[in-house]
Amino acid sequence: MTNDSPVKAFLVVLLTAVICSSLVSAAVVILRPIQLNNQMLDRSRNIIKLTGLVEKGVTPSDEEMLELYRGMDVKVVDIDRAAFTDELDPLSFDQRRAVNNAELGIAIPSDLDAASLGRRSRFATVYMVLEDGELDRLILPVRGTGMWSMMYGYVALESDLNTIAAATFYEQNETPGLGDQIMRPDWQAQWKGRRVYDEAGDFRFAVNHGKVEPGSSTWLYEVDALTGATVTADAVTAMMQYWFGPHGYRYFLEELRDQNGRVN
Amino acid sequence: MSAKDTFIKPLVSENPVTLHVLGICSALAITNSLTSSLIMSVSLTSVLVITNIAISLIRKHLPSSVRLIVQITIIASAVAVIDQVLTAYLPDAAKTLSVYVALIVTNCIVLGRAEACAMKCGVGTSILDALGNGLGYSIILIVVSVIRELFGNGSLMGYKILELVQDGGLYQPNAMLMLPPSAFFIIGFLVWVIRSWKPEQNENADFKPTPLPDREKR
Amino acid sequence: MGAFFDVFFRAVFLENLALAYFLGMCTFLAVSKQVKTTVGLGVAVIVVETISVPLNNLIYNFVLREGALAWANLGHMDFSFLGLLSQIAVIAAMIQILEMVLNRFFPALYNTLGIFLPLLTVNCAILGASLFMVQRDLAFIESVAFGFGAGVGWALAIVMLAGLREKMKYSDVPAGLEGLGITFITTGLISLAFMGIAGLSF
Repeated sequence: MTNDSPVKAFLVVLLTAVICSSLVSAAVVILRPIQLNNQMLDRSRNIIKLTGLVEKGVTPSDEEMLELYRGMDVKVVDIDRAAFTDELDPLSFDQRRAVNNAELGIAIPSDLDAASLGRRSRFATVYMVLEDGELDRLILPVRGTGMWSMMYGYVALESDLNTIAAATFYEQNETPGLGDQIMRPDWQAQWKGRRVYDEAGDFRFAVNHGKVEPGSSTWLYEVDALTGATVTADAVTAMMQYWFGPHGYRYFLEELRDQNGRVN
Repeated sequence: MSAKDTFIKPLVSENPVTLHVLGICSALAITNSLTSSLIMSVSLTSVLVITNIAISLIRKHLPSSVRLIVQITIIASAVAVIDQVLTAYLPDAAKTLSVYVALIVTNCIVLGRAEACAMKCGVGTSILDALGNGLGYSIILIVVSVIRELFGNGSLMGYKILELVQDGGLYQPNAMLMLPPSAFFIIGFLVWVIRSWKPEQNENADFKPTPLPDREKR
Repeated sequence: MGAFFDVFFRAVFLENLALAYFLGMCTFLAVSKQVKTTVGLGVAVIVVETISVPLNNLIYNFVLREGALAWANLGHMDFSFLGLLSQIAVIAAMIQILEMVLNRFFPALYNTLGIFLPLLTVNCAILGASLFMVQRDLAFIESVAFGFGAGVGWALAIVMLAGLREKMKYSDVPAGLEGLGITFITTGLISLAFMGIAGLSF
């Protein structure tokens, strides 16, 4: 057959398509288990840091980490109903995908949308560290629109559901050298001990525009500014304001506090 | 062209990035860390070798009417496989590179070499050509990323080389080098250096200023 | 409608494919000597982006993504790994068809845009826009805004660069930096200027 005949052209294209797609599919089938394992490891690495279960400076091996991760109580919260839900499987529920899903996500009313998110998932995967059946730490996922990008992080609360035990950001694309200081461990470490709500129960947490003096009136509620990154710092404050506000976890936290941290 | 030339020439004198202006996108976007540059270089070189071999093998049976689409399909499959391998074994790197791995499909170096070499020569030459061009691309990526990461962040492949002021050291990092536009400046200067060394790469100027007339005549 | 314009303006200014993500750079640097040519190329990019991104969005959402084939009782299948293959094929096929249609029905338009169309198959700005669309999980109407905005942003950037290069022909650039070298540096400066737009909200 000559190269110019349409039959040959058709055959060549068909053959290429079949061979190529089967090669790609084979690669996917073989590599899928490894990829899923990686996803889980990646998620657990961010969470475990906040649990207080691992000592500072110690990096647990992958197996140890998965062990700790599996030992945690993972639940899905229905944010709007301010309660845990059993409708969704916490291990397979993907909160990020749910945001734009017609059923799983909702639009945020613009007057409440402090963090300029537009939409959010109706559900959130939360992680709990239990001590003798009592809640010791509650880890909540948060995200906010920064100067350039969406910033993703977790905030861990002590058993009083007000004091911050730890916080981390794990994904962002802020200005290098300025906004991306939110990733600095020493800045994140400052969050420990700060409180989200004041004694009247109003939201108080903020990233200060300067340095917070120990012992001053703001000391309980604020962390230091990020040098030269006012936009990102304000975005972090807005993020906290939204997620710990009435459209975020606020009612859920109140509900949980009323039950004295009894989770089950 | 001898086998040695096929391999050596694309390194500097016929470098795909600085002379032929091919494959610039990724050279600019991911060069803020040496690690991503190395991974990108290895990925691109593997895709180049795989597609060059495949296309060179079937070159005599490719009808010219469907030539391009078959080439692109082969390239896209090679890239899809590499993408899957990266997400499986180097998940962190795959995350930072995000869409730029997939964009190897439209990296003009790959299609350019398929057209210019693999369609014409045997498998052996094609492999050498692929390796040479892959390496030429890698050299540029590595040079740019070493400059950007070392002076922009004080580190190389994540290891601290220069102690930063914020950690109590002496080096105040140049944050602009971590911003994407700095890659343009660095490649621009690289082109300048290479062309000063090898003036035959200079383009013909579109416009030559006429010598100024004598002062009296004005 | 707010979301539509938000996505559009973000795509044009903030997330400019050429100046913030460096996509389509090969064409961007090679074909930016004259404003007239770049206008033609820019329009071709806008047309192709506006059609290809929504088209790929439909294919991704109704065929490839996990659970998309529920209507065919194949709800558990996830073909998203074939996304790349299908997107590049859709783009290549769409450009070929567009070329034929233009040639047959709008010969005048074909003469101005036609020469650029084959070039766009391997332009990463086109494929990149589709990949970003999948990564950001845009809804259909947003994908229309994003495709159009991405095209407009790219066209704007290349016309701007060509305008500068036309003037720069007359400046005395050091030997060796002429042509490609100085173009890189100019693009870097434009890109730096575009970064100033960040932080504005539309």
